[in-house]
Amino acid sequence: MNALDLLAEREDMISPGISACVGCNVELTLRIVMKVLGPNTVLAIPPGCMGGVGVVGWNKRSGAKVPVFFPLLDNTASMLAGIRLAYDAKGKDANIVAFAGDGATVDAGFQALSGVAERGDRIIYICYDNEGYMNTGYQRSSSTSKGSWTSTTPVSKDGHGGKRQNGKDFPMIMAMHDIPYVATASPAYVPDLIRKVEEAMKVRDGLAYIHVYNPCLTGWGIRAEESISVARLAVKTRYFPLYEARRREFRITVPVPKPLPIENFTSRIKKFSHLGPEAIADLGKLAEDRYAFLQSLCRGKDNNA
Amino acid sequence: MSEIAVMNGNFAAATAARLARPEVIAAYPITPQTPVVEYLTQFAAEGNLGSKMSEVESEHSAMSILSGASMAGARCYTATSSQGLALMYEPYFRASTLRLPIVMNIVNREMISPQSVWGGPQDSLTLRDAGWLQIYVEDNQEILDTTIQAFRIAEDQRVLLPINVCYDGFYLSHMTERVEVPTQAQVDGFLPPYIAKHQILDPARPMAIDPLTSGYLVMEYRKKHMAAQAAALGVLAEVDREYESLTGRSWGGAIASYRMEDAEYAVVTMGSVTGACREMIDEKRSRGIRVGLVKIRCLRPFPREAVMRALSTVKGFGVIDRNVSFGWNHGIVYQEVKAALYGADRIVPSVPFIGGLGGEDITMDLVSTACDTMIEAVDAGKTIHEAVWLWSPRKGVKL
Repeated sequence: MNALDLLAEREDMISPGISACVGCNVELTLRIVMKVLGPNTVLAIPPGCMGGVGVVGWNKRSGAKVPVFFPLLDNTASMLAGIRLAYDAKGKDANIVAFAGDGATVDAGFQALSGVAERGDRIIYICYDNEGYMNTGYQRSSSTSKGSWTSTTPVSKDGHGGKRQNGKDFPMIMAMHDIPYVATASPAYVPDLIRKVEEAMKVRDGLAYIHVYNPCLTGWGIRAEESISVARLAVKTRYFPLYEARRREFRITVPVPKPLPIENFTSRIKKFSHLGPEAIADLGKLAEDRYAFLQSLCRGKDNNA
Repeated sequence: MSEIAVMNGNFAAATAARLARPEVIAAYPITPQTPVVEYLTQFAAEGNLGSKMSEVESEHSAMSILSGASMAGARCYTATSSQGLALMYEPYFRASTLRLPIVMNIVNREMISPQSVWGGPQDSLTLRDAGWLQIYVEDNQEILDTTIQAFRIAEDQRVLLPINVCYDGFYLSHMTERVEVPTQAQVDGFLPPYIAKHQILDPARPMAIDPLTSGYLVMEYRKKHMAAQAAALGVLAEVDREYESLTGRSWGGAIASYRMEDAEYAVVTMGSVTGACREMIDEKRSRGIRVGLVKIRCLRPFPREAVMRALSTVKGFGVIDRNVSFGWNHGIVYQEVKAALYGADRIVPSVPFIGGLGGEDITMDLVSTACDTMIEAVDAGKTIHEAVWLWSPRKGVKL
């Protein structure tokens, strides 16, 4: 089924009326992902935007049409591993899925996720990376880009400050766990996202991890109508390359042979507005370095242009 | 027929877990609990344990995996000690407030600092208000029997709460005793499979577990949780009677009294020190001193009525604590017992004792002296409010 047909025909598994910000591309990503996964899914939504906007529910109402629960910030992967073990013990099967922010994934939840990766627990873990704790007003995470204004890495009136460190290259860290499937994805490349979720569903021998890059309108300072175009620019500037890896086999799924200058991405985002040309150039250099590293992992295949 | 074997406390716990047929086990090794994990993995390697087992990377994940598995309807078992329990605190509290009937042995070990790996129930007692049921046992037979019973109590539809069966590190975990092991058929008859009805992660009947919840509903949940704790006392007694009819062994339910019938004085204990105190009571009785013993088995729920009844006829009592309650200058069990007696017709003198911290031996001499100290204070009509410390003097160490 092509992407358009799938989106048109599949049931929306998320309740209407959840209270995400106008233009939120995480909500869009979740709805798409859940259409692909379908009703035979158990969904974990840890603390974060999607928990905050009511996907688990409010009082006695559920926010989803599948079984959904609220793990702790730091144990999403472990709780899902337990569900898988219980299902295995009972001879049942379902998609056991996390939809977790970067705080619950790259920071507090990392140990549990790394444990699941190493043990080979069969779950699908999708991280929506909006570079920080957006649900509570944008505090930094270890995924936040260098230079970013956040509420815990503030900028002085004369323009000094912002985060001092680069964000972790987290999908690469997961790929280095040698798990069956790792992919990066973007709400601006929906057919690519859909195919990657379908690939994750086929995995039988361990963790499938998908890292979605979701620029946050409210936290980063992006106009709502640019929600998707900024996400696309992250890919086109090579700042967030789209690839997949099966154990040690890497493949770039959306090649970027002629990257746009990094300024095309950063200039749309208010959290970088205090940065001078040098700091912006550093972000561009980081993107090029990481892209070159990724290409080297693709072992000269023709898709690595 | 049941089998008679010689085993240490950890093997008794692992054997009980095996006989209970948990569907999921996740445990992280920590001294002095480590052999429990080794025994269970060995049972599995020999084909004698069918549980799905996870070799977790931490206790936090152990409890998290079991929480997920229990939410998916599985019978679950784990074990831990001290720092492992502390690391587990976040999902530990939540397992009770999610009403997940997980069974966990706690091999009691002192909390650091200073660094210590030896016995003492400070670890689990500190978490007494986290909503779990907690039973403390005295010997290896009681570990095995109570751990099997724990599944029945936790999974009872009137209870649906996680439960700890706690035993002293090294004194029980690593010491061997004679233990009668019921047959698999006996345990299967006693312990039907767990069927989760209250919450279940199942696509065939989708439900949301733990949406954002208003305070008035939180209050409803807490009140029901407390009612379930209270109901556990009755269930514990029922289960004890049924187990007795099966095996001939009763552990007395929430408390166990020894030579209390005509006692003028009582010594209150919990855990393995009870054994030494029984001997001491016999010795005092042989000299005509009418002293008896009350062993607290169930700390959560606290058997307020039973404790009040047991201590209502004595002239006074002492409590031996192998733990401290910072800020009170006595032990935790003493505090609990005193609170239970607030509703009694008369207030009798009492003496709090603290001893055996960090695995330090509580000898016969020490408990005998404690008993004498208590009787002297009681006869003088005097309550001692600050703990009397039980210890054997060491050269160069001042207490």
